[in-house]
Amino acid sequence: MSTLPLVDLLGYWLGIFLTLSILSFLYKDNPFYKLAEHAFIGISIGYIIIQQYYNTLRPKLVGELGMGHWLALIPLALVLMMIVKGLSQRFGWVGRYPLAFVVAFYAGLQINGVTSADIGKQVERAMADPVDYKTDVNTADRGELFSLGLPPAVVDGIIKQRAQKPFTSLGQIADMPDLSAANRADVRGSRGPIVGLDSHASIEPGRVNAFGTFSQILLFLGLIAALIYFYFSVEHKGVIGKVSRFGVWILMIGFGASFGYTVMGRLALMIGRIQEIRGDTMPSAVADQVHGPWVALASIIIIVGGIVAWELLRSDAPPAGPAQGGDDGDDSDDADANSNGEPVGSAS
Amino acid sequence: MADSSNEKLHWSVRLQRFDRRWVFLAMAVAILVPFILPCNVPYKASPMVKSLYYTIEELEPGDEVFVSLDYDPASMPELQPFLEALMLQLKRKNIKMVFATTWYSAPPLVQRDISELVERPIEPTGAYGGLPDRAYVKNKDFVWLGFREGREAVISAMGNDLWATFDNRADDGTPLSQIPMMQGYKQLKDFDLVIVVGAGYPGVKEYVQQVQARYNLRMVGACTAVSTTEYTPYYQAGQLLGLAGGMAGSAEYEMLVGRKATAAQGNDVLNAGYLVVILAIIFGNIIYFVSRKRKGGAVR
Repeated sequence: MSTLPLVDLLGYWLGIFLTLSILSFLYKDNPFYKLAEHAFIGISIGYIIIQQYYNTLRPKLVGELGMGHWLALIPLALVLMMIVKGLSQRFGWVGRYPLAFVVAFYAGLQINGVTSADIGKQVERAMADPVDYKTDVNTADRGELFSLGLPPAVVDGIIKQRAQKPFTSLGQIADMPDLSAANRADVRGSRGPIVGLDSHASIEPGRVNAFGTFSQILLFLGLIAALIYFYFSVEHKGVIGKVSRFGVWILMIGFGASFGYTVMGRLALMIGRIQEIRGDTMPSAVADQVHGPWVALASIIIIVGGIVAWELLRSDAPPAGPAQGGDDGDDSDDADANSNGEPVGSAS
Repeated sequence: MADSSNEKLHWSVRLQRFDRRWVFLAMAVAILVPFILPCNVPYKASPMVKSLYYTIEELEPGDEVFVSLDYDPASMPELQPFLEALMLQLKRKNIKMVFATTWYSAPPLVQRDISELVERPIEPTGAYGGLPDRAYVKNKDFVWLGFREGREAVISAMGNDLWATFDNRADDGTPLSQIPMMQGYKQLKDFDLVIVVGAGYPGVKEYVQQVQARYNLRMVGACTAVSTTEYTPYYQAGQLLGLAGGMAGSAEYEMLVGRKATAAQGNDVLNAGYLVVILAIIFGNIIYFVSRKRKGGAVR
């Protein structure tokens, strides 16, 4: 087991300490939180500057000019024009040209992509046949069978098997010889009449997927209703009002799904930090040297002790006058906390 | 004073003013307990993730994929488990890989991942007993092209001429013309599959808009949970052949690859977190409706 370099070890420890410092904001705004917040912003900006210099400015500007490629002076001039906007009110109009260049460039780039990928393909999808037919496993091509969500080995097995004898039931797919136990279990697990394999596949042509058809119709109606909600040229009353109301419900369901996923993302951040502290995300040899849980415990003791001392010092200090701004006792311009140093929204 | 005035208030009003830090505490407990007492709630892979997995399984040994790693430290809990499982699946199948990124924050992370996941066999975890992978050799089995600033412009340029976008050199300075595995792979459409591991902008969406639609690329993606609802229509319309969203998607993909690791562990914790959120929503709605009833339906 190789010994972890001291700088890496300190990096892990600092990461744990700063994580808990940020979380201390849940109690109230405090010096540990401020330290971590300021360090984060400072390091981020420093990192961006270094990255942009070595990956963009040096090869694309300094390097190009060094090789005598004078065309690189054009982007340099655009950058300088942007800086003029910040330095002078009188000549601020100069900064509009690089802004116009960037906006026009990306607008042109986006129009093509959005038109083909977002409008064209999605309209094509929305205009699909409302009747959703099941895939006939006895005649479907490889791509159609693959779209049923079956493993490649099962798809190959179906093509081979049906050439000898057509399937008379979907249950025969899982009973095909030469399938691995995992594939067999996968096929059996994917069976189901509503959204499972049985709803998408059949052993004869022309069978309708009832739930799929319902989904297609719902998609179409939902699309129309949601669009009507944003159509303001007609007053939303009567039939239009009811359709618009249905559109609101569709939008709310969409926002609800997005909210659920957002919650998942935020929880994942917390889970990631805990896994890092526990050493789950690093090789066991590294975790054994970092001792994350012990470092976390030490960090909690330092932070709690520090906050208690800070509170005691604040209570001993004479009350600050209005000129100091609030009762914090510090001179921080805290935008995220109320006058008691508590997170905004806390109503205790 | 505050206490005595609180006593006169209706319970629903007092609950409306209750300190939200109790919710944070409940959430913290809900997240920590499953780490100590794992529930191992069973889960199944969704069609989107299965499709992603099977699309990669369809590749033949020696095929080449282009992997865009567009992430930052904040998205690692969601995307790192996916990336580890992805590298394992690709290496088991002996697929060659070309890496690049359009995120300025990604290069140090990508270089670490290449060092730990590509240039050496992936460390087995838990009861992993699947097929072994091997150490890949730089510029023979994989190429790291590096980072280019320009977002959609760079993605569009890669679709047109990948070599020129990276000045005809790999990140270590080796001319692409001297790397055998790059011969015949000058545009994104030359690759057998494009895989985008994207944490936001630019990412999966921009690849679909700028190159997938234009060149009809075979493409799969992994994204953070926040972006999943936005990208799912691309899968439904056939523009993406598969999509893994957030930690749950990564957990499903880990299960399919046969190496349950941090995402599977996190998925268990997510369930407990969801429970707290659901209870908080029910609790909030009860208070809301009681308040509305008291005020004669005037609360909006």
